[in-house]
Formats: sequence, structure tokens, C-alpha cells
Amino acid sequence: MPLPPRDRKPHFRWASLLALGFSTLLVLTGCGSSENAGSKHTSDSPVSGGTLRLAFDADPGCVDGQQAGQNVALNVTRQVTDSLTYQDPDSGELEPWLAESWDVNDDSTEFTFHLRDGVTFQDGTDFTAQSVKNNLRAIQDLGAKASLGSTYLTGLSDIRTPDDRTVTVDFDEPNAQFLQATSTMTLGFYSDATLAKSAEDRCGGDVVGTGPFRLAKYTPRQSVHLDRFDDYAWAPDSADHTGAAYLDAVDMSIVPEATVRNGSLASDQIDVDTVVQPQDEELLQASDYKILDRPNPGVVYNLILNESRPLFSDERVRKALTKSIDRDQLRALLSRYQEPATSLLARSTPDYQDVSDLLGHDPGGAAKLLDQAGWTMNHKTGLREKDGRTLSFTVKYWQSAPFLELVQQQLRESGIEMKLEQTTVANTEAARQSGEADAEFMNLTRSDPDVLRTVFDANGANRNRREPAQIDQDLDRSAGVKDPTERKKLVDDSVSALIEDAHSVPLVELSGVMATSPHVQGFRYEASSRFELYDTWLDDANGTTGPGSGPSSDAGSNSDSARGGTQ
Amino acid sequence: MNPVVAMILRRLGFGVLVLWAAYTLAFLLLYALPGDSVAAVLGGDLSTATQQEIDEIRHQYGFDQPLIVQYLTSLGDAVRGNLGTSYTTGQPVTAAIGQALPVTIELAAWSLLIAVPGGILVALAAVGARNPWLRNLLSGLPSVGVSLPTFWVGLLLLQFFSFRLGLIPAIGARGFAGVILPALTLSLPLGAMIAQVLLRSLTHEWTRQFVTTYRAAGLSRVRLLLSHALPPAGVSLLSIAGVVLGNVLGGAVIVETVFTRNGIGRLAETSVTGQDMPVVLGVVMLSALVFVVVNLVVDLLYPILDPRTRPVQESRS
Amino acid sequence: MTATEFSTRLEDPEEESVGTQGRGRRTTTTMLRLPFGLILSALVVLVVLAWAVLPSLFVTENPLLGDPDIRLSPPNAHHWFGTDHLGRDIFSRVVQGAGASLGTTAIAVLMSFVTGTFLGLVAGTAGRVVDTVLMRIVDVLQSVPSLLLSLAVVASLGSGPVNIAVAVAVASVPSFARLMRGEVLRWRNSLFIEAATMSGIRTPEILLRHVLPHAIGPVGALAAIEFGAAVLAISALSFLGFGTQPPDPEWGFLISEGRDYLASSWWMTVIPGLVIAGVVVSVNRIAHALQTERRPS
Repeated sequence: MPLPPRDRKPHFRWASLLALGFSTLLVLTGCGSSENAGSKHTSDSPVSGGTLRLAFDADPGCVDGQQAGQNVALNVTRQVTDSLTYQDPDSGELEPWLAESWDVNDDSTEFTFHLRDGVTFQDGTDFTAQSVKNNLRAIQDLGAKASLGSTYLTGLSDIRTPDDRTVTVDFDEPNAQFLQATSTMTLGFYSDATLAKSAEDRCGGDVVGTGPFRLAKYTPRQSVHLDRFDDYAWAPDSADHTGAAYLDAVDMSIVPEATVRNGSLASDQIDVDTVVQPQDEELLQASDYKILDRPNPGVVYNLILNESRPLFSDERVRKALTKSIDRDQLRALLSRYQEPATSLLARSTPDYQDVSDLLGHDPGGAAKLLDQAGWTMNHKTGLREKDGRTLSFTVKYWQSAPFLELVQQQLRESGIEMKLEQTTVANTEAARQSGEADAEFMNLTRSDPDVLRTVFDANGANRNRREPAQIDQDLDRSAGVKDPTERKKLVDDSVSALIEDAHSVPLVELSGVMATSPHVQGFRYEASSRFELYDTWLDDANGTTGPGSGPSSDAGSNSDSARGGTQ
Repeated sequence: MNPVVAMILRRLGFGVLVLWAAYTLAFLLLYALPGDSVAAVLGGDLSTATQQEIDEIRHQYGFDQPLIVQYLTSLGDAVRGNLGTSYTTGQPVTAAIGQALPVTIELAAWSLLIAVPGGILVALAAVGARNPWLRNLLSGLPSVGVSLPTFWVGLLLLQFFSFRLGLIPAIGARGFAGVILPALTLSLPLGAMIAQVLLRSLTHEWTRQFVTTYRAAGLSRVRLLLSHALPPAGVSLLSIAGVVLGNVLGGAVIVETVFTRNGIGRLAETSVTGQDMPVVLGVVMLSALVFVVVNLVVDLLYPILDPRTRPVQESRS
Repeated sequence: MTATEFSTRLEDPEEESVGTQGRGRRTTTTMLRLPFGLILSALVVLVVLAWAVLPSLFVTENPLLGDPDIRLSPPNAHHWFGTDHLGRDIFSRVVQGAGASLGTTAIAVLMSFVTGTFLGLVAGTAGRVVDTVLMRIVDVLQSVPSLLLSLAVVASLGSGPVNIAVAVAVASVPSFARLMRGEVLRWRNSLFIEAATMSGIRTPEILLRHVLPHAIGPVGALAAIEFGAAVLAISALSFLGFGTQPPDPEWGFLISEGRDYLASSWWMTVIPGLVIAGVVVSVNRIAHALQTERRPS
């Protein structure tokens, strides 16, 4: 090795002495953990009690489910509010929840819900038909602040409450997707007192729902604390138990650093890491941690190209992008639970269809298209040029997505420069809204193919900034059509058209990968891959919890053995 | 008027002036070059704001006012202890700082508790050691200490102790166990800095005529060091007290980010990332306040500890 | 990174040169007995400068092009520093990153050097009012810890290598201004300047001919110290994500990229960190030597 300057050596001797000193100190003061994972007992029947400690990688920002758009926030609000319907995560079927039954008219413009009796909000007030009406109206009033909810309620014309237990929602146009939307936390319910609060106050955690947990405190950038709602008695039928939740409370910390989340899990500071990095999965699994995964349904991670920019107004350039990407190679950087995209929709989305034949790696084809479009290769720079301009575009993004760097590399081999700029949600959003962004990197989770309309409809959000076309008619119709086969065909056609015309470049499916300590039981994902804690329990809830009871010593030895090889 | 009172008043006046100027400069820096604050307020990855809503937010936060009006309004509020509300969380800035401050104070206290004795010990040992090789080694340590990237040291400590050994909890600002790794990380550059300054003045005292005479007379090195060299050299540490505390705040940005401690430093980092100007301004003002107060205290302590300094001497201009 | 900045923040210009080594005679002599350290430092700096100027001579692989099949390989005969998460050669990335890291640092130091020296010169020569105003502004800049000041600048300007260079420069302007002003004041009252004034030479000329040459030594030494501090500041800001963007390597950014892989691939984090530390130690050693030389006791 050419460089290591030797004058640093003394320090390391010193540092290791110091380290040794401190570890001795810690052992002496009893701060270290000495117990072993092997001593832990596991009981089979759920026990009540205990506090579940989990860590998110990002700040929810706003913990009002009606306003929130990000997964972290929706993970919080799922515990606090209930929905009219419950979507089975395996079958995708809708089940009764706060609504015991419902009727939909033939053209999907009128939805009548018959509400369950005896449901109350956490402040003791009754949940009635009027509550449903007030909440849906509140979401409409939020407008742009209800980023998801407002698109679910497109065309809502009237809400009728013939009696306390019946509510009818009318739409101007067919809106078949609305039924699934009623199962989302976005259309969860708050008490009248909450609705009277300002949008900011609600974002800050001043919310009262009907869910199994109360939102006790949200400290921005730091933590969310939930405690159990003891009177809860209206869990959906498919839940494992009835009555109140098992856990006394839930402590959710916001820990952006993956290393810290890892260390916290290993030193038993948290029970659940909600965002496990692919490279740590093996390590954690080898140390007795449970890895839970579920592919997120909805629109996969993809690049949406801004067609109002000269570069991407040329369909050939857009197509060349898709052909330049070797999705199989991306797999190397993904979690073993994650897959490269095979469609615009993730495979866990209803009506998903594999269209990977449209997504083949074809560098030759890409080169031909770019040549035709007049972008010629400059062999000095390795980039294509036209009229003195380099074939280059910028992607601003905020997500943790190392595979984008590989995409960048693959595009470069076709002579296309993709500049990556990792920044904040707000900056990304500002760039998109200004129309200055060349392309947008995004995904959107929802367990319904209507998510395509939310993202791509040129008559709606129009993220491509393109003229409306046949695709948009299909998308709009698919929102209304009730017949499953007809709807699936419309969805398939839309997906194919969106990919073939290269309005979007699908890349990778998002998959939630979480790790839990061995003593966490009944931790599971709901239909849109956010977790639900109603059935979760700690098998040592009444035993000795706290520092020292985690399998930290195992983590130590196993990580040593794992460090040699590549993954 | 009593000269001491006069001096205190003048110092206080000067402190207020510094705070005002810091506020003004920071305000100009943060608000005169407008990024899109509306986007920062809206947040959310899916917001589809209409122009009307953007205008509303613009009005609500006063972005539609001329800069000078914004400045005077916010300065007036700041004087009354209101630093505005965060764009991203909607929380009052003073509340956000109030929440974060104890966490940083805990970190600062522990790091100083390690750094000050540690730095002094290293400096003393570097001067006092008999073995020249050891002396060289020890006097080289501080310069290495200040050259290590703090974030890197923190990551390595975290990985080694927390994950690999499972010894020390990585998060949770609860008591000693949670604070020890961050404090250790932060104390390294602080201790090295203290050792450097002290080493320099100690060496100076050590080579003075009377000390060398005493040494020739056979007095114990340790005794000489502690009784004759350390007290005058220690005063030099006072002069860097403000700088050290400033560095605690600056270092906290890195350390709290690496260890995810929800203190002032992490607040600064997240608000810069989110272009949350009111919070950035608040943190800047907090650090200026710390600097002013510490220097005031140091100025008052000087004449007590070192009779040679006179209160009328203006050392800063 | 926090600590080196202190050296730039001492109040008395005479004390500016505390630097990063204990200074008095004793340490000086011990350092002189160890020219080996200095030679090694010079060597390190030369090698790294060569990397920065002519990276193509040193890189063993394309630093921007990875082979996913060999990703996360530990250091070996082909990849001295191992490979990263995309299978890129980390040695080549460190070499390539030298340009970004040292370039940004050089811009920062140059900007603060020029601005600070100019302000100090003006403050020292112009009348009381200008002096007071300028020095009070410097006081205010110094009342905020430099990293926080840099962050405020980044909040305002946005991220990017040039912006963080400006941010770091702003934070180190005060030390140059103070030192330069101190030098001007020191020489202004000296006999030969008085003589020059009396013989009718105009102030700007005195400044250029007599004050500046004398000030070059101390200011140069300060620039060297600031360089070490700026390397750390730039890498810290890059680590926080305000600097370069992928795929361009920069040392702080390399550590930032590596941190998520620390549990399984230590080399991604450890090696770039050692390089930064080595460079800063070496630069500081040279800065110290410069100071010692200028004040032979």
C-alpha cells in the first residue's frame, strides 16, 4: 500500500488503550450486557403488556393520516385510526371493519355503508354516520394537503346520512377504486374535536381516532409515542384476537443512520428496525433476528420522464433509456427480498401482470434509437452529443436507493449521462412542481391498480407533463369500471402503453424489510405493506425486558464470521 | 461609577450588539437569497398544491412582505423571545430548541468531563515525562487528535462497541450508557485542543528561568509541574473557553447526527437539509448567545484568577 | 473536525500560530530532532497532490465504473483498498477523490485568504471607524462556531462543492483578517515604516513594499493550518451530504457512502478516513515547521 503515513500509529495504540479502559469501566459499572439469548424462554400464547420499541429511518413529518403521504407517517397512523373496510393482505379481498356491510350501485357512483354498532373514539365520543361524513368532508377541505385522500375522493358529490348507522357516498362519475380506498389509513376517522383543530395541529399529533392505540405524543424529528386504547373492541375479523391490543405502549424512534439502528437492535435498545439495509440482512438473520418482508404493492420505483423538456419530448430518447437498463444486474444491489421491476406495478398489486418482455436489456437497440434521434457518440467523453449539447439529465431524489448509482452506470454505457442529486423531500418536490425537473424518481404504495391513475393521469397530476392520450382514457375508465375482467384489461393496456411509449422507466420493486428481536411476536404487514401492531406481543413482556436481554453476544460473534465474504 | 460595574455594563452592551449583528447577518444570509420556502412548508412527497394554496402559505408566513418588513417583524418578535415557527414541523422554534438543549447539554457536560482532565493529563505527561521518546509520543498525540475526522471516529466507535460488542446502547438519551460513545467521540478533538494549548503554555513556563533553576536544584518534576507551571499555564485555558464551547456546538452537529441524538446539532443538520430557515436562524442565535455569555464570564473571571490582567484592558479589538 | 478550527480562532494575532503542535522551544527542538516526521509528511502531501493533479497516472481501474460481480471485496492484490457497493475500486476512487477534496479545500482557503487578508489590510490601515466596523463584523462571524456558520451558508446557497467551499471560506475569513490586521499594526509602528512615511512614500506603497512582504510568512503559515482545517470541514460537510453527488468520489462522501456497509465491509469507511487523517496530520506538521522556521528562537 502506497500511503499509510506512519506517524499516525501512536494514536491507534493510544485509542485502543482508551477503548480497553472504557470497556473495563463499563463492565465494572454493569452497563454492559452479560445475559445470553439462549436463556430466553418463549411462550406460545400471547401475553399482554410491555412496550414495543421500534425505529424508523425518517421523520413522519405529519402524523395526521388524512394529510400524510409517506410510508413512515402512514405506519404510525395505521395504529391510530380504523377504516370502513379491511383489506386482507393475502387475498386482497375487502372485509368488514367499521362498516359491517356495504352496497355499491352498478356504475360505481353510489356507495352505502352500514356501520358497526358501539364504536367510539378514543375520547369517548361515538363513531356515527355523521363522523364518516364529517371526515370525508374534512379531507376534501384539506385539498392539496390531503395529498392522497383528495385523489381518492375525486368527483365526490354528496354524502347522505339517513340514520346514525348508515352513510351513502355519491360520486359524479364511476369511482370503483373508492371501495379499496376506504380500507386505507388515509381515509381513517377522527373525532369531531380533532377535525375542529387546524391542519398544523393535527400534523403535530393532536389527533383522536378509533384505533387500538392512542397517539400520546409526537416529537418532530425524534419520536412518536403510542399507548393502548383499552376500550378497543372492533378489530377486523381476520385479526388473531379481539378486544384491546396486547402492547401497553409503542415507542417509535426516528433514527436515520442505519448503523445506529443496527447497533440499537444489537444492544437491545429497540425491538424492531423498520428499515433493514440489504447488506445487513444476513448478519441479523445469523444472529437470531427475525426478518420480515413484504413487497409493497403499487407503482414500482421508476423514473417518470418530464416530456415538456426538449430531451424527453423525443420518444426515441425515452425508449433508449429503458433499453439501456439491465434490470437483472440491479439485483446485485437489492435485498434478497426485493425484485427488479417486471411491470409498472409491483407483483403484490391486484391485477398485476408480468410484462418483463417489454423491459429487456437491449443496448444495441438503444444505440440505434439514439443514432436515429441524432445523438452521436463522442468517443472522447463516452457521452452522446447533438448540436453541441451532451445527452445529460438530472434526477433529484431523497430516497435511499443505491441501485440508482448502478442505473447511472448502465446509462453511461449507452452514452447517456444521468446526474444524481440526493436531497430532501421538499427540494425534490419543489423541482417537480416547478416543471424544471428532467425526471422524477418515485414510487407509490397502494394495494389497488388505481394507483396508476393517481400517478400518471395526464388529466390529473400529469407528472409526465404530456398531452392527454388514449392511455388517460383507459386510466380514467379503469377507476370506474366494476367488472373485474374489464378492469384488468384496462389496467394491462395502460401499463403496456405507459412502458411502450416510455412515459416511465420502471426499475425496482420496493419491499419493506424489517427486523425484529426474537421476543417480538405477531408483528405483521397489512395489505399495503405498512405494519399493524394490534396483534403484536412480547413474549417476555412480564419477564425481564430491558438492556441486556437481547442476543447481543451472538450478534458480535456472527458479525465476525460474516465479514469476510461478499454478499 | 465602580469600574467593575462599568466594565460589566460595557461588556453586556457589547454582547447585545454582537447578538443583534449576528441576527442581522444571519437573517440577510438566510432570507435575502430565497430558496423555495413554500416547498419547504408544504413538504410531503405527493402534494399537488394549487397556486392559490401556495399564495396562502406565502401570506401566512409573511413571504409576500418586503424583506425589510420581514426583518423588522422577526427582529421584534425575536427580542420578545419568539423566534418564529419551523417550516417543516410547525413547532415554535424556541420549543424545538428547548427540547433539544438538554440533550446537547448532557453531551457537552460529559465530553468536557472527559476532555478537560484528559487534555490536561496528556499535556502534563508530555512535559513531565522523563523518557524523551515518551515525551515525543505524548506531545504528538494532540495534533493527531485534532486531525481525525470526528464523524469517522464516531462511526468506528459505534460499530465497534455497539454493534460488534453489543456493549453500549446506540440510541436513547437515557443516562450514562447512552451518552458515553457520543461523549467520547466529541471529547477527542476537544481534549486534543485543550492539550495543545496547555502544552504550549506549559512548555513556556517549564523553560522559564526559575523553573530550570529549581529543576537543577533537584525538585521533583511532578511537584514543580503542578505547583509552578500548571497554575499560570491554566489561565491560558480560560482564553479558549468560548472557543471550546463553540466547538462543542459545532462538533455536536456531527456527533449527534452520527449517533442520532436529538440535540441542537442534529436540529441544525436537519433544518439545513430541510431549508428550515427559522430553525437555522434560531440555532445560530443560540450559539452566538453561548459565545457572548461564556466570554462575559471569562472576562469577569480573568481578574480574579490572574491579578495581572486589568479590567480596563480591551483584549479583543 | 471541530478542533482544528480553534487554531484559527484565537483572539490575539500573536497567538495565531499556536497551530496544531505545542510550540515553545522544547517541542520545537524535539520536532527538529525528528526530521523524519517532516519528510514523511512532505511525502504524503506530495503523493496526494500528485493524485489530485494527475489522477490518471495512479488509478488502477476506472473509478466511476463498477463491476457488480465483485462488489464489496475486501482489500486484495488487485484492489488494494477493496471494492465498494457497486464493485468500484476504492483505491482508484480515493485517488480520483483527491482532486475533488483538495480542489474544494484549495478554493475555500484561497477565498478566505484573499478576503480575509484584504479586510485585515483595510482595517489595519484605514481609520478608526472602518477598523471598528470591520473588526466588529469579524467578531460576529467568530461568535458562531465555524461548522454552524458553514451550515447556515449552505442552508442559504444550497449544496454542491462550490457552495461548501464558500461556506468553509466564510467561516475562516476572520482568522486571516485578524492576523493580517495584527501584522499591519505591528509594522505600522515600527521605525522603518515611520521613516518611510516621513520620507513621503504614500500609504498604499508602504503597504505593498514593506508591510506585505513581512506579513507573507505568518499569513502563509496560517494558510497551511487553515488548509488542514478546511480538509476536515469540507469532508464533514460532504459527509453530511452537502457536497458532491454520485458517482463523483470525494473523501468525506466516500466515508458517507461506506457507513451503511460498516457492519459488513469496514474498508469502505476505514480507509478513506485514514487517508483524510493522514493528509491533515501531514499538512499540520508542515504548517508547524513553517511557523518554527519563521521565528527562529
